This record gives sequence, structure tokens and C-alpha cells, in this order.
Amino acid sequence: MNIRSYGDTALLLNFEQKISPNINAKVVAWNQAIQKANISSVVYTIPAYCSLTVVFDPVQTNHQQLAEHIKSLELPKNSAITAKTHQVPVCYEQPYALDIQEVAQQTGLDHKEIIQIHTQDTFQVYMLGFLPGFAYMGKLPKELYCRRKLTPRPKVPACAVGLAGQQTGIYPSVAPGGWQIIGQTPIPIFNPNKEQPFLFSVGDRVQFQAISQQEFEQLSIVYQNGY
Amino acid sequence: MATKLYFQRSGLQTTIQDMGRLGYQNKGIPVGGTMDKSSAQAANWLVGNNSNSPLLEVTILGPKIEIEGPCQIAITGADLSPTIDGQVIRMYQTINIQKKATLAFGRLKNGCRAYLAVGGQWQIQPWLGSYSTATNNGKMLTPHSFIREKSQLSILPNIPISVRNIPIEKQPKFNSSQRIRVSKGPEFNLFSAYSIGHFFSHAHPISPQSNRMGYRLDSKLIDFEPKQELISSGVIPGTIQISNSGQPIVLMKDAQTTGGYYRLGNVFSEDLDRLAQLKPGDSIWFSLE
Repeated sequence: MNIRSYGDTALLLNFEQKISPNINAKVVAWNQAIQKANISSVVYTIPAYCSLTVVFDPVQTNHQQLAEHIKSLELPKNSAITAKTHQVPVCYEQPYALDIQEVAQQTGLDHKEIIQIHTQDTFQVYMLGFLPGFAYMGKLPKELYCRRKLTPRPKVPACAVGLAGQQTGIYPSVAPGGWQIIGQTPIPIFNPNKEQPFLFSVGDRVQFQAISQQEFEQLSIVYQNGY
Repeated sequence: MATKLYFQRSGLQTTIQDMGRLGYQNKGIPVGGTMDKSSAQAANWLVGNNSNSPLLEVTILGPKIEIEGPCQIAITGADLSPTIDGQVIRMYQTINIQKKATLAFGRLKNGCRAYLAVGGQWQIQPWLGSYSTATNNGKMLTPHSFIREKSQLSILPNIPISVRNIPIEKQPKFNSSQRIRVSKGPEFNLFSAYSIGHFFSHAHPISPQSNRMGYRLDSKLIDFEPKQELISSGVIPGTIQISNSGQPIVLMKDAQTTGGYYRLGNVFSEDLDRLAQLKPGDSIWFSLE
């Protein structure tokens, strides 16, 4: 890990610059260590794939002092990392699987195989960003890698599940986006009316489960008022 | 008795802001909050509010507000020629409103954003601990915080304080060209010396496509070709990122929390307030400290 200053009010902790569950696990561990230490000068943190931004109050500390403090922290043991595992139902049928044909063309897989591969592994939430609650997850099995759409869709529906490169993600709200949409979950992953509006935290694990259109509709009613 | 603010005109972009939604950036929530923090804090001080109280951020073209009921107000930041019932009023001073009055704004003389504080408890709903504007799916999560024509606000006034003022020599000066100090960003070393030299020796005009999320600059980095795709990483207000086409963008308070562009530098936090008072067409000269 390398610590450098990032503007006059932040530190940037950089790890090996790779998208990998193991490297991201280090980001999560350091983030949790900083949160747990309850350092009064830390205003907020931004955990990402392989970096952690730590914004501080310059009245209370400085780069060097905070960096020393962070380096002295004890990392939580793997078993102690508070990561949840979520079962996320996804309907991979029409009208939700907007780009399944394009994904089939790019990967050479058929519809069934795409679903089978997307639901077989548990993915890690690497980062929340781009939009409030947008979860970037991975790592996808190689067979499912595909390129973003050449022309981004002006309006991706909320709760759409997409693919981009080696990642999969869920749109928390309606937004423009270029990910290949293969399905939709009936679970609102971002619900601003709840006290805890976000379903996921960085480091959580996600297992997708295929559901039928009928099940999607039933679950949508259940989740109408939040998860 | 509550003071009522009734908006006869909304102005170009009038929003309620406070010090922002700090602590939720790990979930992708923008920091938000007042663009020119020190002017906002001064306005709240002038009416006896604490520094994190909500207040109105008025942008370029001001609203017209009917104020009902006694209260104390103060205006700081950009000079938009404020008047009460047609009479020019002083900025940077507590103003007592005794009876129904109309507050209006006129010509923008300098700066970009004025702050209007009203002493008391604002009867509005926060979201995630902040009154600053936030949207989702095009819907306001803070329904009161984006002012429209006919918007109404209700404020329970404080016990009046004795009039305060900030002397002219302590008021900020807003020129349309500003020197803004910058420290090296995480990807600074990936730029050529030629790029960097050019960036710090030329004026950067502010593009009309600038807003609370970011200031896009009408300039282009020369000798710049991003060699490697970066893995998205945290960005904060003041981060200067360079788009793949070479356009610099200075991220402001409503910016997203992660990005994948090269980060050339970071604006000194102290200089962000002056930067926030620049408007499209104004210019920035960056200096590397």
C-alpha cells in the first residue's frame, strides 16, 4: 500500500492497480479499520476498486500525522470483516433482458448459458459510485466478458442488471448508461425513503438467482415499499 | 409566529444548501452543500444561526421573495444588487424585517452566487442529515430545497440579535479572473512537462456547461494522449480531471464520488470558495504550489 497526499484535505491509499477481489478486500479491510478507529479528523472515505480516499479536517490534523495514524492501525482479520451476502433475484426474461441478444452474439453463449454463468458464482461489491448506490461487482467468469454498448442507452431502467467488461452491476435508479442489460431485479437496491437507503456496502457478496416473469411481478409488489 | 417566504420568481437556480451530506460518499452520494462556504457561513453568522444552518444559494439571476412576518436576514457573496421594497440594501449586514416586504435582486455586479440567510429554524425536511438539494430519478429527495415560482418556506425566527456587520476590508473581492492554487494530483506524473507547462501558463475560460457538479473549462491540454485506461478511484471537490479529449474539468460540490479520468491536480480547499464565485466566461489562472 502506498499513501500519498490528495489535495490539502485528503490522503489517497493506493493498492496494486488491478481489478481483483483480493486487492479490493484490502481496500475494504483498511476502510473498516479507519471507520472502527473512529478518528475524529476523518470526514469521509471513498473506497474504490484498488484505492481508498480519506478526506480529513485540516484544522484537526495534517497529511503526515493522519498517514502515521492509519499505518499504525490493526487490520481486521478476514473473518471479522463485516460483509453481508445477498441473494438477489433477477428476471433474465423479456422485457427486462434488453441486451441479451447482443451479449449472446459477443460471447457465443446462448440465453440459458448466460443465466447459468451469471448465477453460478458469488460476486464481490467492489465500489459504490457513479450514481448513489450504483454497485460495481465482479469478477465475472471470462466467458461472460463483453464490451459496453457503442451508444449508451439514454435511460436504463432502475434495478437493471448489466455487464461491462469483467464486471456486473445494478442500476439504482433510472440513468443513462452503456452497460449490456441482461435482466432486472425486483429489489430496490437504493431506497431514499429508508433510514438506511442502500442495500449494499463495499465488500458485500452478491449471489444472483434466476426468477420467472411471474415471480418478478409478485416480488415487485412485496418490495414496492422497500426491501 | 413563523416567518413565511413566498417566491414570486424563482431566479435562475435558487437552492437551499447547508454544509453538505458528509459521510455517505462510500455509497456514492455527492458531498453537496454551499459552493462558497465562507460566504455562506458569514451570512448565517450575521443572523445568529449556527454555521451549518440551511440558507439560500442564489445563482446569477436572483429570485423575488415576499417576506411575511418579522425576521432578520443577511446577504453575502455575489453582489446581485439586492433591494427591499425597491430600496437598495446593504450586504454583509444584519437586516431587520419588521413587516411584509419584498426582497428582489437586480443586476449581477460581481461574483456568481449570493447567500441569503434568515435567522431561525427552517421548517424543511432533511435527507441523510442534510438540507442540501438532492435528486433521484429526476425527483427531489429534498422537496423544499429547489426553489420554484410559488415555492413557500416557513421559518421559526430566532430571538433577534443586535445588528452585526462585516467590515468592507474583510469582505471577499470577486474578480472575473482568479489565480487558483493547485497541488499535484495522483496522476500528475503521467502528464508530459510540455502539457503541464502549458496548463499552468495559460488562462482557462469557464465553459457555459458548468454547474454545481463541475466547472468545464474551455481549454485543451496540449500534448496529451491518455496512454492507459485508469481504474476508477475517488474524486473530491477541487479535483481537476482531464477528459480523454483533453478538456479540464474542476469537480465541484455536487460531483460524483468516483471517476476514471486522469487527475492532474487538486484546488486548494481555501480557494474553492473564490472559484465558486466565477461564472461562465470568467477565467482561471492555475498556479502550482
